[in-house]
Amino acid sequence: MHKISFLRQFVTQILLAIVGFFVILPIWGIIRLAFDGSLRGRPTEFRLLPKIWSFDAFLQVLDKPYQSVDFIILLKNSLLVSFGAALIAIVLGMSLAYAFARFRFPGRQIGLVGLLLTAVMPPVAFMTPLYILLSLMQIRTTLMALVITYAAFAMPFCIWNMRAAFQAISKEIEEAAFLDGADDLKTFIYITLPLALPSIAVAGLIAFLMAYSEFTLGWLFVEKGDNLTLAMAIYAIVQSGNAQPWSYLGSLALIMSIPVVVIFIIFQRTLLERLMFGDAQ
Amino acid sequence: MKRIKTPLHILAILFVIFTAWALRSRALNNLSIDFDEDDYLRAGQEYTHLIQTSNWSGFLETNYRPEHPPLAKIIIGISLLSVPEKPLTPEAATSAGPNNYLPRDLVHSARTVNAIFGTITVAIVALINPLAGLFLAAHTFTIKYVSQVMLEAFPALTSLLVVLSYLQWKKGKRSKLNGWLILSAVFLGLTAASKYLYCVVGIAILIDWYLDAKEQDTLKTSLRTIILWGVLAIIVFFAFNPYIWTNPILRIGESIFYHAGYSSEAVEVQNAAYPVWQPFFWLFFSPYWWHEGVFPFPFDAFITILALFGLKRLWSKERLYVLWLGIAIAFLLVWPTKWPQYIITLTVPLTIAAAESMFLLRDNIFEWWKNRKTQDKVHYSKTETHRVLPWLIPGLIAFAVLTLFPLIFQFAVSMTDFNTTSIRDGFNGGIWRAISGGLTGEIPVTPADIGTRSNQVNFVGLSLYPVVSNFIAYLNGGSVLFFNIMWTVLSVLLQCGLGLAVALLLWQRGVRLGKFWQTLFILPWAIPEMIGAMMWVNIFQPDWGWLYLAVDKFGPDSLFGTFTNALDKSPSLWLVGFLLPAMWYGFPFMMLASSIGLKTIPKEVFDAASIDGASIWQTFKYVTWPLLLPLLIPAIIVRGIFAFNQFYLFQAFGFTDATLATLSYNVFNPTNGFGRYGGQFALSAAINILTIVILMIFVILFNRWSKAGEGVTYA
Repeated sequence: MHKISFLRQFVTQILLAIVGFFVILPIWGIIRLAFDGSLRGRPTEFRLLPKIWSFDAFLQVLDKPYQSVDFIILLKNSLLVSFGAALIAIVLGMSLAYAFARFRFPGRQIGLVGLLLTAVMPPVAFMTPLYILLSLMQIRTTLMALVITYAAFAMPFCIWNMRAAFQAISKEIEEAAFLDGADDLKTFIYITLPLALPSIAVAGLIAFLMAYSEFTLGWLFVEKGDNLTLAMAIYAIVQSGNAQPWSYLGSLALIMSIPVVVIFIIFQRTLLERLMFGDAQ
Repeated sequence: MKRIKTPLHILAILFVIFTAWALRSRALNNLSIDFDEDDYLRAGQEYTHLIQTSNWSGFLETNYRPEHPPLAKIIIGISLLSVPEKPLTPEAATSAGPNNYLPRDLVHSARTVNAIFGTITVAIVALINPLAGLFLAAHTFTIKYVSQVMLEAFPALTSLLVVLSYLQWKKGKRSKLNGWLILSAVFLGLTAASKYLYCVVGIAILIDWYLDAKEQDTLKTSLRTIILWGVLAIIVFFAFNPYIWTNPILRIGESIFYHAGYSSEAVEVQNAAYPVWQPFFWLFFSPYWWHEGVFPFPFDAFITILALFGLKRLWSKERLYVLWLGIAIAFLLVWPTKWPQYIITLTVPLTIAAAESMFLLRDNIFEWWKNRKTQDKVHYSKTETHRVLPWLIPGLIAFAVLTLFPLIFQFAVSMTDFNTTSIRDGFNGGIWRAISGGLTGEIPVTPADIGTRSNQVNFVGLSLYPVVSNFIAYLNGGSVLFFNIMWTVLSVLLQCGLGLAVALLLWQRGVRLGKFWQTLFILPWAIPEMIGAMMWVNIFQPDWGWLYLAVDKFGPDSLFGTFTNALDKSPSLWLVGFLLPAMWYGFPFMMLASSIGLKTIPKEVFDAASIDGASIWQTFKYVTWPLLLPLLIPAIIVRGIFAFNQFYLFQAFGFTDATLATLSYNVFNPTNGFGRYGGQFALSAAINILTIVILMIFVILFNRWSKAGEGVTYA
């Protein structure tokens, strides 16, 4: 293959710019909202650029984004719920993942198909039963309920992913440790787990992001403002219509997205492989 | 055509024929009078009169509803000879409703003859493949339209015969004109003289012949033969179309231009306002819901789904059937008028494909059985089984508590009528009471009730499931399941297409700014789904979206105005409003997967291709694509699952048409489709259980479908 000609380079750049326009257009819409200091409610006229450039919305949102709830509280709730859910899903799912990765036992095949099935189910599949069950336990409106719900969403996927990660580690290493007299648990803790840790961390990251950006079920469960997460606050601004300037919506969305975007850009390749159920290799 | 082998085979064929006739005769006796039946009955009556008065020259000037050629109508006329003549059915506009005062004996006689043709079609299909025959016999749309006074039954039969005679010719000496090919041409002529639409088989045959001749390198020698075939068909068309004898050009022109005008002007076409994909919808739909008690079961959707899985195998066996199916569908998609009876043009190849998939299934089960036997020999060592227990048990407990128990509980809830009205009772033990009482038989089953909401939780057994299945299959002119499948296919196709295209552009040697573009294109993937959805709502929302604000600013005559105006009118375009965001979300993932895949292909392969003088397109088709596809399949499956479950996009749009959203969306918002039913918790649970069952079928099918799919499960 030769380097491409000038004409081809030109056409390529034009085509890429068109795709770039398609990618940027909706993002720009939100950026425009975020920086527009003239908004008093919903946007009412067509503009490409903000009418009055202003950073106020960001300051306001970083203080009290929704009603009188502090940003810090929302952030804390978001992190608590997301970390909690990811941790539960990873820790509780780990032993099952290892069992399916390393051992042959009767019923393994059917178990695998069952696992896959739960991993491909939509998150809303768990909505109705968890709503009723958590209501019955009278903890539905607490942050604990959100942790449990999001952990239930993420667990099948995490199990599936960790299984692939454990399987990717060569069995010989484990067998060597086993021959040296280590039992299963020791082998797992000292040999397998450290080797699989990066992949497990990525699976955890995906579970974290699931919980981090979830809002509809959150709104179904939570009633008190103190228990809101950031994602729920964004949705609340949309639902509240004209009550608040929509620059809040834009700035909050940007604040929420930027860390995630950075993580994705850094870890793009690993994330991609994990998201393909660990089978991209 | 396969040789008939055993008495069992003969028995199967006879059974199919019997079933076909039983279902058709039931339909012809019970179906209410439909649109257009009065027109074709009148057309038939005119011919009956001509025959009875031996006014043969009258045929030259008679063709009521001249947009359709006369042969099928003449057959209706012949069928009426046995019944005493009645006054001519009054003329009515095409937009008129069904005429319920048609003389029953005439209708019965005409319908019977049509149903006989319909049964013969089934019988011939059964000779090729009894299973396909059975599917055709049970296909409810086919039953309906061949058992009414419509023009479908006869051309459906002749178009099948066109294909079969052509296939016989193909088996023998391909370049010579022989009896079979002449027969094929004759049938094609008869088809054309009955209803133009059925001539799509002719196009399919031309393509098949072209492909065949190209492979055999006999393009030149057989060109003459195929032209003769075409000319012969046209001659037969003339011979059986007396109406055009006196003024061929004018009258053919009239009948063809009528269709163009009809589709753009006729009131009933405008009122129906079917979206582009309506023919697909008909394939997943069934008139079972239109005519109560006429059809045993809405088999159509199942036949269509089976057919999808049989296409590949059928292509390798006899590609003509697949071509026939494909061209007919393509034609119906393009054709602006989308009446349900048009799909009769393709139900024959559809059922043949469905039968193929059953053979595929049989082979798979057979293989699985064989593998199972070898697997049984794999000895599970006792120590290993013991060793796994400490790992398995804690994980299983967590999995059971967090995942399995909610799902089982969900199934239990779907057997109650739990809803917001009974929420107090439910949370105070009502759910347990209803479920445990119902399952042990202490509480009687109260059938799911429409409209009433009790403030107590009742046990309804499985009675919600028929309601919910109906809802998923058919709801006020749409279908959630159909939309969901179409949505998945279209959005994955678009994502793959754009992702692959961008990856190929970036992969060229020496592209400037490559890193910059790639990082930019990753953004939609990295942005949390619901924020992305919000960004698109910010464009498409009718009150304050960019697009609509632009209309306010630039006026309704601007480009924006034209676009939104079209958007508000047409569901096909609304789909675009959802597909654009879906493509936006999904293409970065496919782009990354393709880029990684492209890097694994050794450069030498491409150097070799360019030395051999392959063009860019040839390199892509024969080198890049075959090497890349296996690497992309896992990514495609992931995107497919994601699209099938897409929820936040529809939720953020706050669109309330239940049939233009996925199953997930309907699980969350059961009241959109179900406003008149009580018990939304229970309904949501039932929709969900059905969704899981559908997903389960997909997982198993995809697992079988590709080796890569196996990788997903067993890796």
